[in-house]
Amino acid sequence: MSDRMLTMAEAVREAMSIAFDERPEVFLLGEDVGIYGGAFGVSGDMYHRYGSERVLDTPIAELGIVGAAVGAALSGMRPIVEIQFSDFTAQAMDQIANQAAKIHFMLGGALHVPMVLRTPQGSGTGAAAQHSQNLEPWFASVPGLKVVVPSNPADAKGLLLASIDDPNPVIFLEHKLLYKIPGRDPVPEGSERIPLGVAKVVREGKDLTIVATGIMVNKSYEVCEKLAAEGISVTLIDPRTISPLDMQPVYESVEKTGRLMVVQEGPAHAGFINEVIAQMAGSSSFGSLIAPIKRLAGMNIPIPYAPQLEKAAVPQIEDIEAAAREIVKNWR
Amino acid sequence: MSFKYPVVMPKMSMTMETGELLLFHVKVGDQVKSGDVLFEVMTDKIDMEVEAPADGVIESLVGNPGDVIEIGKPVLIMLTETEVMAFDFGGDSAAPVAEPVAPVVAAPVVVEPVVTAPVVQQVAPTPPPVAQPVAPVAAAPIIVNTSVKAVPKARVEAANRGIDLRTVHPTGPDRTITFSDVNSAQVDPAVLKRQAANKALIAKGIEMTRGIAQASFNRRANANFDHAQLISAWAKVLRGRPDLAVHQHVGVSLIIESKYGSALPVFRDPDLVSVDQLRTLVASTTEAAKNGKVPIAMLSGGTTTIFDLTTYSMSSATPLLFPNQVTSLTIGYDSESTKNISLTIDLNFCDFYDGALLLDALIASL
Repeated sequence: MSDRMLTMAEAVREAMSIAFDERPEVFLLGEDVGIYGGAFGVSGDMYHRYGSERVLDTPIAELGIVGAAVGAALSGMRPIVEIQFSDFTAQAMDQIANQAAKIHFMLGGALHVPMVLRTPQGSGTGAAAQHSQNLEPWFASVPGLKVVVPSNPADAKGLLLASIDDPNPVIFLEHKLLYKIPGRDPVPEGSERIPLGVAKVVREGKDLTIVATGIMVNKSYEVCEKLAAEGISVTLIDPRTISPLDMQPVYESVEKTGRLMVVQEGPAHAGFINEVIAQMAGSSSFGSLIAPIKRLAGMNIPIPYAPQLEKAAVPQIEDIEAAAREIVKNWR
Repeated sequence: MSFKYPVVMPKMSMTMETGELLLFHVKVGDQVKSGDVLFEVMTDKIDMEVEAPADGVIESLVGNPGDVIEIGKPVLIMLTETEVMAFDFGGDSAAPVAEPVAPVVAAPVVVEPVVTAPVVQQVAPTPPPVAQPVAPVAAAPIIVNTSVKAVPKARVEAANRGIDLRTVHPTGPDRTITFSDVNSAQVDPAVLKRQAANKALIAKGIEMTRGIAQASFNRRANANFDHAQLISAWAKVLRGRPDLAVHQHVGVSLIIESKYGSALPVFRDPDLVSVDQLRTLVASTTEAAKNGKVPIAMLSGGTTTIFDLTTYSMSSATPLLFPNQVTSLTIGYDSESTKNISLTIDLNFCDFYDGALLLDALIASL
């Protein structure tokens, strides 16, 4: 057993390095991923270790970057694209949604696009509305894309390795605030994959089920710890991949707890987490609910620049804690 | 002038005979308003706050906290200027003590033994049995909660245990019934008994044991409904009471008079199609019936009957029960904008409370 505590940036770099070593067709391209080491320092020293042939600095042209990666993937390579901010994927959306996601289907399965698009998302850095979005539902609503949202370094490593193996285009959404902090669990040394489409039960309890994505898993975990000290035990489920979505652990848990709360960073309206609610409402586990389903999500506004407003625009630990207490107290 | 009015131990469930007085919320001399809580009582099933039926002053307290008091017996006496109070489900017919007692008026329940009539009779234009429509709930605090809010698991549990959610006291936010509310509720043995009795009746062929005890109820309703809406709404109400069912389906029989005689086409499960679809069917069937041509398939399977008297300018009548049916309705003319709806029920299957609930639910859904 390893007890290495890495940050998510280090874990992602390690996964990419393992894939580089395993397969010569894997390469990384993006803005400033080379000499500069990545906007958030994720690629780090990889340019120096693998050279400019495999770590490509590109012009500031997202549509061209993703287009080049799709073309490379179609011709046998396994590109990893880094887009500096997930907000900028809007520039590349034709290549992502209309080309990468559909080529396999429109050509009768003759070709596939084994591309991974990594991009940092989320608020909390004071970078204002065009650099702070959580765009999970954009990608999760496009059939043909797989969407991964890791919440910790160990998962990020295993999931990224599985994403690079996957023959489909995978959107890999990393939260900026997680890059610099070590996870709760050590990151294994080896090259073990974590299969896509398998949710993780982070902890088990009997009073409430929380389903959260990305950084909200971490915030919810702190709430679980706090409530556990008061005798309220919470099951926390991290879907890890939001497309495809693994609902089975959610059903099984709600059948025990009877209460479901979902937490996401992105805006509530038409957000990804609503899918969890919809599937629960249509399932045979619905009859196990002893409380209305509680949703915590971002406000339906662009992320504000002012720090206190930025904080208020997305669920914080205190919000999750208050909501969890209320649902357990009010519904018995 | 002011009247003495005894506020009595209410009957809160089918099986209740006595209740324990828990505590008074008022003392002698207190001014109270209609709806103020007077005292709390406890039965084997529920705790309940009893409210003032009218504005007034507390004259005396009859019982003491801890007393077990028979239903219908006074718990306190209040003085009131109010002359008309809504009727009381709870008491037996025996009038409460104290005098002069305010008129406990306007019981809209006319109990008359009517022999089950196998054929339609032309009904005489009797005066309406009740002078004024009266709200079905007031003095006696029976919980009548026609649109119940309950969490999913509470519904599952209630269905499994044969609990009527309308009788469960909600403790959740927005008066929603929680799982633990149902969990701590007890099955009303009367409901179970009745369900068993119904099943036995069905097994035996129903008619043998039918008695003649019936009760009729009358209430005024807005007139803005047509036959399709009425048939659909009534079927929905009956479907919500499987314990009253003597058949596996709901068949609403509509009496249509023509020169060929009375036709009783039956609309089977009419609440399971849209009202628009039903309206088309009712129109074509009515037209056919007036020409003496109702499809044979529609002449059997009725579980309830509706007789619309408004075309005869009659205001009210006592609807008669047909064999194998537990309920029937007549619709009478009341005014340009209102109609009288009369309901007759078979007391072998349901009681006055059920009758009031059924009529109340029908009018609420029209």
